[in-house]
Amino acid sequence: MIFLTLMFSVFREAVAKKIFLGFFAIATLIILFFLLLVNVDSVEGMVNMMEATGEEGVKQLVMGFQVGMITISYFLVITFCFIAVSSFIPSMLEKGNVDILLSKPVSRTNIILAKFLGGVLLIFLSLTYLIGGVWLILSVKSGFWHFPFLYSIPWLTFSFAVVYALIILIGVTTQSTILSIIVSMFLVFVICPVLFVRETVIFSFITNSTMQFVINFFYYILPKLNDINKIIEEIIMGTAVSSYMPAVSSSLFMLAALLLSIFYFRRKDY
Amino acid sequence: MSVIATKELSKEYQSRTFSKEKILALNNFTFEVNEGEIFGILGPNGAGKTTLIKILLGITFRTKGNVQIFGKEIDDTSYKFQTGYLPENHRFPSYLTGEQALAFYGKLGGMNSVDVKKKTDEYLRIVDMDSWRKTKIKKYSKGMLQRLGLAQALMNDPKLVFLDEPTDGVDPIGRKQIRDLLTRLRESGKTIFLNSHLLSEVELICDRVAILNKGGLVASGSVEELTSVADSYRFSVSAIADDLMQPLLNTYKAVIKGPNEFTYKAGTAEELNGLIDFLRQKKAMILQIEKEKNTLENMFINLIGSQD
Ligand SMILES: Nc1ncnc2c1ncn2[C@@H]1O[C@H](COP(=O)(O)OP(=O)(O)OP(=O)(O)O)[C@@H](O)[C@H]1O
Ligand SMILES: [Mg+2]
Repeated sequence: MIFLTLMFSVFREAVAKKIFLGFFAIATLIILFFLLLVNVDSVEGMVNMMEATGEEGVKQLVMGFQVGMITISYFLVITFCFIAVSSFIPSMLEKGNVDILLSKPVSRTNIILAKFLGGVLLIFLSLTYLIGGVWLILSVKSGFWHFPFLYSIPWLTFSFAVVYALIILIGVTTQSTILSIIVSMFLVFVICPVLFVRETVIFSFITNSTMQFVINFFYYILPKLNDINKIIEEIIMGTAVSSYMPAVSSSLFMLAALLLSIFYFRRKDY
Repeated sequence: MSVIATKELSKEYQSRTFSKEKILALNNFTFEVNEGEIFGILGPNGAGKTTLIKILLGITFRTKGNVQIFGKEIDDTSYKFQTGYLPENHRFPSYLTGEQALAFYGKLGGMNSVDVKKKTDEYLRIVDMDSWRKTKIKKYSKGMLQRLGLAQALMNDPKLVFLDEPTDGVDPIGRKQIRDLLTRLRESGKTIFLNSHLLSEVELICDRVAILNKGGLVASGSVEELTSVADSYRFSVSAIADDLMQPLLNTYKAVIKGPNEFTYKAGTAEELNGLIDFLRQKKAMILQIEKEKNTLENMFINLIGSQD
């Protein structure tokens, strides 16, 4: 009960942060866009396309939309959700606020876990709204009920959870919202993409084997969001998933970040 | 039964991150608080009062020593079902309304939804915030925040309440209301642990006080004990006749305070009675004899001043 109260307090805090409402506004716009696009096209575009390329063509079109949606959802989560959740821990730890919280009969471990799970559940529900909505519209309008697209909901939630664990770690240790945002953005926009293309691009101009080893080392310990996006695309397109290693190592990173946060938080004086 | 008992409690803070320098916020502090009393901690700024409360509630960790609350070590959080806390300069999430904040903290304190609803209504009324319950906290004034904080500390019906400067920012009428509330709580058997700078207030409601300076215990006892001036008595008589004046001044070393008042320092009860016999023999009419009292403030200033 206490745990759930704490977990759902994340929801109210998110709603109070206007930025999270931005996510919903855009998600709703996207859903409306699909609703209208397919409506218009069903008169000429979609129907014509069906005649022109057959059932297989429609499937390819729908899956194309869905893969595109992954990229859109991913960037929505990164920009809106990461910024929204970055302040959760620092504001919880503000002097005068944390004192009351810690005087309640809830362990520090559970405080971190409740905030973590609350955030993850929140993003899961938000993604369900966005992706589930788009899936429903595409399915009804095309008659092609492509369930693998729905797997992207837990997968994207997982990507969020990995970075959220890092955001919590930075929040607990530095109590700085800005730093949490900067680090998570740097990770998502610089580190992950660069490490993702290390073999195809980076290693062609960094040829020193020690440097390559260092880069590989970071690749293996840090989260692999781009690799996870690739897994999601493979699932949607129905091709075999090339490797689950990125998912496994990212979950280890997430666990490590959470454990470190709890370890630090349990010892800290407020 | 003692509700709080500490033994040689010490707390060292690091003065800065990565610095070896330490601040000794509490130094071998041993004390007890009994069930059903209002216990006050006094001390100058930085004496370690807030640190003490935070250690008792597991917000800060002790460096050394023992703490028992309700007769048990504080190694898990279960005792916190029975405690309430109003921190100094507390803040609530400002996007909540008053009643939402109470509901939130009530549930965190382990209350069920039915009780939360009932107690929210009850305590909003007690602290006079009923008309503000639907207003966002960011629009509250300082005193309103303090009242809401007090309701938060009390609504889970705790056996032991920690109040750090509860009347800070509250107007005189509100202060009186809070004092009355605390007295009522004591009557219902609750133990109250109070930090305050307002010595006159502490004097009015505390059963016992401890004075803390630089992390160490300087004095403790009932307000009565701490404020009574050793063996000095104030006499009121109908008049100090001339034949009384000389012996009073010379033999008894009394200090004349007015046409019919003087004070006398008696080493023993015999000496005191000796003076009374003398006055009666001289047919002086004794109207009142009172043991002299210091104000808590005077006592405090003397005590702390003499330490620096
Ligand atoms: N988190 C902290 N880190 C380092 N030093 C601290 C910390 N909190 C308190 N101190 C130091 O510990 C000492 C005691 O502080 P404390 O807040 O307990 O004083 P206080 O008696 O409550 O004072 P006041 O009357 O001003 O509220 C002070 O010297 C303070 O600087
Ligand atoms: Mg203080």
